[in-house]
Amino acid sequence: MTLFDLTSLPKINEKYQIFKSMTSETNMKDAKFLFSAKDNLTSKDMETCCGSKILEGYYPPFDATSVGDMKAAGGLLIGKTNMDEFGFGTFSTNSAFGVPKNPYDIDRSCGGSSGGAACAAAVMDGHISIGVSTGGSICGPASFCGIYGMVPTYGRVSRYGLLDCGNSLDKIGILSSKATDMEKYIRIMAGPDQKDTTSCMQPEISKRRKLESVAVPEDILDNVSEDVKKAFDDGLEILKEMGIDVKTVKMSSIKYAVPAYSVIATAEASTNLARYCGMRYGQQKGDLSLKFDDYFTSFRSQYFGEETKKRILIGTYTRMAGLIDRYYNKARMVRQLIIDEYRSVLKEYDAILTPTMPFVSPKFTDVSKMSVVESYKTEILTAPPNIAGMPHLSVPCGYDPNGMPIGMQFVADQWDEGLLFSTGEDWEKKFDLVKPEVSV
Amino acid sequence: MDRETVKKVAHSAHLELTEEELDRFSEDIGKILEYFALLDEAPECKEFGLDPIDVTDVLRDDVPHLDIDPDSLLERMDTYENYIRGPRLL
Repeated sequence: MTLFDLTSLPKINEKYQIFKSMTSETNMKDAKFLFSAKDNLTSKDMETCCGSKILEGYYPPFDATSVGDMKAAGGLLIGKTNMDEFGFGTFSTNSAFGVPKNPYDIDRSCGGSSGGAACAAAVMDGHISIGVSTGGSICGPASFCGIYGMVPTYGRVSRYGLLDCGNSLDKIGILSSKATDMEKYIRIMAGPDQKDTTSCMQPEISKRRKLESVAVPEDILDNVSEDVKKAFDDGLEILKEMGIDVKTVKMSSIKYAVPAYSVIATAEASTNLARYCGMRYGQQKGDLSLKFDDYFTSFRSQYFGEETKKRILIGTYTRMAGLIDRYYNKARMVRQLIIDEYRSVLKEYDAILTPTMPFVSPKFTDVSKMSVVESYKTEILTAPPNIAGMPHLSVPCGYDPNGMPIGMQFVADQWDEGLLFSTGEDWEKKFDLVKPEVSV
Repeated sequence: MDRETVKKVAHSAHLELTEEELDRFSEDIGKILEYFALLDEAPECKEFGLDPIDVTDVLRDDVPHLDIDPDSLLERMDTYENYIRGPRLL
């Protein structure tokens, strides 16, 4: 598909199930570039469902700041990309509106929760996807789909218009098949926005500088597959050939990242999702003879999916009186420990490097066999930088014997996106990207 | 987590679960909470915030303005004579 071939969109979507909503435009008109937005970002007059039946039929009256910024820069919004309901998932299999298919093998997952966004960037030349990461939802899918994915520092891009999952975790970033797109489009969306206080704390984006040293946490390869180990080792060799100093360091706090992230994310989501009750947004036609509480309960029970209900229950439980110190407050302590440890390591090294995901994209049949804890643990490598609000970049670094892509992830200090911009571009010059064969 | 606790939490969260959901969530959430017990081993710290970055209050200029036309919001809601329809309180 070329930049201008919008007529192919329906066929592309039929095969890969990328979009929940699509533009009816068939040419670019005066647009400078085509982009899509994850379906948890509001878009004026284009349906926004967050992967959930409870929001079906919701047409927001305003654009999220990030979406509006891209339009103002000359972008044409061509669709809203499919995702796990409210971002709850690692494989995009928890959407109420179909499951995005991996562009390298349609029997496998695109990753989640920005699965549709990653697929769009992988199959459409020159396409820019806006994704949202809470615990790994940009870098994970980028790794599974063989593209670049970058998450800026928490607060760098305004969250106004983002349908919150975890307020203190959600970050808006970019997915593309080109590393050079990271700087260009993150700069378009970055900057203080009066409508989001957390975006008003940011300093300027750091200056671009060459990566000189990386730290690899010891034991980080203990829980990854042999194929990922090999690709990662090959990636380290390329970095050494580029003159980059690679050292192993001890990081004892990151093993707590997944449970701490899960506690914070579910606690925050369980309060954020209280607003979806059959009034104001999406589904609203209910039995008005029901009592107040029963009316809300009936809507939520009917339209929320299974994973969403489960996470609301976990988040409600961990905030209960008598339990909040053990779970929610302890998780916040652990977040601070992780931030402190990252900062300590990043005083001596430019970046911290790990594989992005512990294995290549699994087949859907294998996803359905995973236990609930196995599924949560798939974010073991992406949860640490996400809970710490650190900017991170996933780059493709190899392929398994079946041709499935593998990624590795650079983590920089807060607000140091400039380092990651130049790192991605330097890497792109050294790594031979194998694009998927796209046929419709 | 036992079924009664799941039921109690679900009530707080305005969710009504089927018998099958109660069984499944009871088992799944029990396993997840066992995994969360890893947090008990983590060291404690005294200073920690709500966000991963330092956030202080920032006030915008106190100039009245309208971000979104109220009529466009009402168009998207189930209304009766410009009032939002909702369930009865009593």
